[in-house]
Amino acid sequence: MIRRRYRPRLSLALAVASGLALATPALLAKPKHEAQPKVESTRLDIPALKKQLAGSEQEVVAALGTIGESQNPEGWPLVNEVLVRGGTEAIVEEALKAAGKLKSPALSASIAPYVQHRTPEIRRAAARALVKTKGPAAVAALSKALRSGDASVRGTAATGLGELGARESIKDLFNAFDHGVGEAAAAIGQLCKPEECEDFAQRTGRVTFDVMQTGFDQILFRPASEISDDDKLKLVGRMRELGTVEVGKYLADVGERWPKDWSKKVKQAIDSAAHAAAAGAKK
Amino acid sequence: MSTPTVRFASALAAVLAVGCGSASLRGPAFKDDWQDDGGRGIAAVAAKLSGAHVAESKGFVVGVTTSGLVGMGLDGSGRWTHPGLPDSRPSIAGGVVVYTAGGKLVALDCANGRELWQVDVGNDKRLRGAGDDGSTTVASIAGESGGRTLVVAVSRNGSVIQRWKPDPDVGVPAVLGNIVFAPWDSQYVSALDVGDGSEVGRVLARNVVSRAVAIGGSLYFGENALVKFDAAIASASRGDAHVVKLPERELPGKPTWFPSGVQALPVAAGAPDAIRFYARPVERDGKLGLDSQRFAATYFRIVVGFNESDAALKWTRTLPAEVIAGDAASGGFLFCDVTGAVWFTDARAGGASGKVSLGTPLKACVVSAGSFSVPMGSDSGSLTAQLSEAIELREEQMATIQRFLLRELGTNESDPSVTKTLLDLASDARTQPDVLAEARTLLAGRRNGVEYMLGALERHYDFLSDVLRPPPVGPLADALAAIGERRAAPLLAAHLNDPADTPNDARHAAHALLKLASPSELGAVRTFFSLYHSTADEEDLIAAAVDAARILVQLGGAEGASVVERAARDPLTVPAVREAIASLTPNMKSG
Repeated sequence: MIRRRYRPRLSLALAVASGLALATPALLAKPKHEAQPKVESTRLDIPALKKQLAGSEQEVVAALGTIGESQNPEGWPLVNEVLVRGGTEAIVEEALKAAGKLKSPALSASIAPYVQHRTPEIRRAAARALVKTKGPAAVAALSKALRSGDASVRGTAATGLGELGARESIKDLFNAFDHGVGEAAAAIGQLCKPEECEDFAQRTGRVTFDVMQTGFDQILFRPASEISDDDKLKLVGRMRELGTVEVGKYLADVGERWPKDWSKKVKQAIDSAAHAAAAGAKK
Repeated sequence: MSTPTVRFASALAAVLAVGCGSASLRGPAFKDDWQDDGGRGIAAVAAKLSGAHVAESKGFVVGVTTSGLVGMGLDGSGRWTHPGLPDSRPSIAGGVVVYTAGGKLVALDCANGRELWQVDVGNDKRLRGAGDDGSTTVASIAGESGGRTLVVAVSRNGSVIQRWKPDPDVGVPAVLGNIVFAPWDSQYVSALDVGDGSEVGRVLARNVVSRAVAIGGSLYFGENALVKFDAAIASASRGDAHVVKLPERELPGKPTWFPSGVQALPVAAGAPDAIRFYARPVERDGKLGLDSQRFAATYFRIVVGFNESDAALKWTRTLPAEVIAGDAASGGFLFCDVTGAVWFTDARAGGASGKVSLGTPLKACVVSAGSFSVPMGSDSGSLTAQLSEAIELREEQMATIQRFLLRELGTNESDPSVTKTLLDLASDARTQPDVLAEARTLLAGRRNGVEYMLGALERHYDFLSDVLRPPPVGPLADALAAIGERRAAPLLAAHLNDPADTPNDARHAAHALLKLASPSELGAVRTFFSLYHSTADEEDLIAAAVDAARILVQLGGAEGASVVERAARDPLTVPAVREAIASLTPNMKSG
């Protein structure tokens, strides 16, 4: 089952991988009332596009570009046909981009084999597309991709499984995290039950804080119906024990982002821990 | 085994000739203008010594440590230590251990390490080797950088009986009944009278001679082959002496039976000491052969036993540490390793039959079997099991011998466990590249062990399960296709689309599926064709895509044919694929 939850604007895990500063507010988990605005789709000339898709590589790529930009769900059968038929690297990459933009779960099954393609760029693009098209086929393909020899595919798969709410993958995500797939931290944070979140938190100290933090952030900003305030307080307490500058800065940022109508008790604990960590670090 | 017929008649004639005028055969030692006397001189010496035997010790091992020497009997008796630091490799001669240090030649009693004597031999002298007949010790000593040979005969009480300072380099000598046998110039063995130093006979050998060795009470001369000192020695120059040679066998590292006797061996053992042949000549039914009909080769930690008559591999033994010395005894072999352990190995089957230990790490080791007899060993398992153990050693240094052993293993075509061993090697990420390549080649030729093969194909690369090397899909595809094993089809189809397998593996899988696939595999085959007919960028993938097209046409009915036809018409299909599939369907042939 795919559940709605607070989502980061950009995957924190990807931020870690690309070396971006973790405290950048734009990269952190946000409350759900800030959901992205809906984009209007444009109309498609299906007969003309079909003709174009039977043409040269350039024509096919252009047609796929048009379909993708349109974000019109009517375009998915055309993209699907290209994916099933196969094509040059340029065509396949464009088809995968278009599929990602159309966000149609019906495309996931035809995207899935490309996660196993021998060309790294294609399999990475396929993994990224699956995160957007979603659906059971996407979850199955991303679960398999978590076992890939390609670190980039593993990372995208982990992120995707978190974003797709694939609870059934939680064991594999823990396994991946313990095998050094840092992106699995955020996914675990998105999916864990309280006892699993605690299991994750116990890795603090063994895994660097910048990686753990991506999971903590997801846990802290999950609704109280999923993670209780008591569990969040426990987590804040665990971070407070670390008492580093890094923790202090991070918790201060969490405090700023904390929704006004959420638990005051947790907010107080976050602020206090941030203050204590900063003070402890100065000493 | 080369065992020339003994020409007793000629030898007898020579003996008779010496008997009539032996005095005329005596002359200065090591004369370089010596004329072949037809073996008359040496025949006389042989006749004189015909009843004599070199006294054998009970067998000893002596090690060189950082602080001196350590020794003991092979029966585990009398461990001793001695503080002397030799400047070249010590030598065990009978019951005496001899070494040079600081310009002295020193002899110790092997049984207890007690110093018997020491004599001045001059600074910068290095021992090449020594012989002993129970009452006299003879040693060949060289200058530090070779040359300046000194041969010295010393009585048990330490008095020097004779010294020779020949121009040529003299190899490792032996002594028997007051006659010193000194090999030199690779072809001569001069028989020297200890009493007056004169040469009383000379062997002109047809094999390289750089050492004289006493084995089983008899003397032998040689290096890579041994000529026996007996009545037939007079015929040596005609190639008619009793000679024992090891069968030709190309082995990693090119082991030698004996190192050159004219080189003083370095104190510390090196690779040449770890890569050696061992064999013990014996006379059997009037012919010269090898004890237990076996010879052994060492390669660091791995020991291999061969059959005398055809050089067939009979056993292997994997030892826990690098072998740096050894000797062939009656009934078996003795291997000394760097930890100071001496491993007894039964010659017939390679079984473990005991061990003694000097109890300290060694820089070098010298083993002299003497009359020591190796008992029958424990059950050493099948040859396949022995080979598997040796091959599965994860040491880079072992790769060369492991490839050799793999080829030997592959010759066992009937044992399915050989297939398993090859699979284990080919699937293990730690296997050396050379060994991996050999294992894959051999696997492709296997025709049994199908269950092992199918089990291996069920595995895929899996980062989370730490399966970091995919199975050897290509060789398995070849083998299973040759066997006609249809149960392999779904497994091969699943590998077709696994990017962790090499393109070459995919090629072989596709080719095997041509023979083994059923309609159940069409989905995977079609996916492969879709993914690669326009992206195949190398020969293997092109060939695999073409075979996939053939399978689609063969099993996919109209739908399969239409997929192929469409790809054949598609200008974006890789040209080599398009060309190869152009006439696969009847429509395409007619069109």
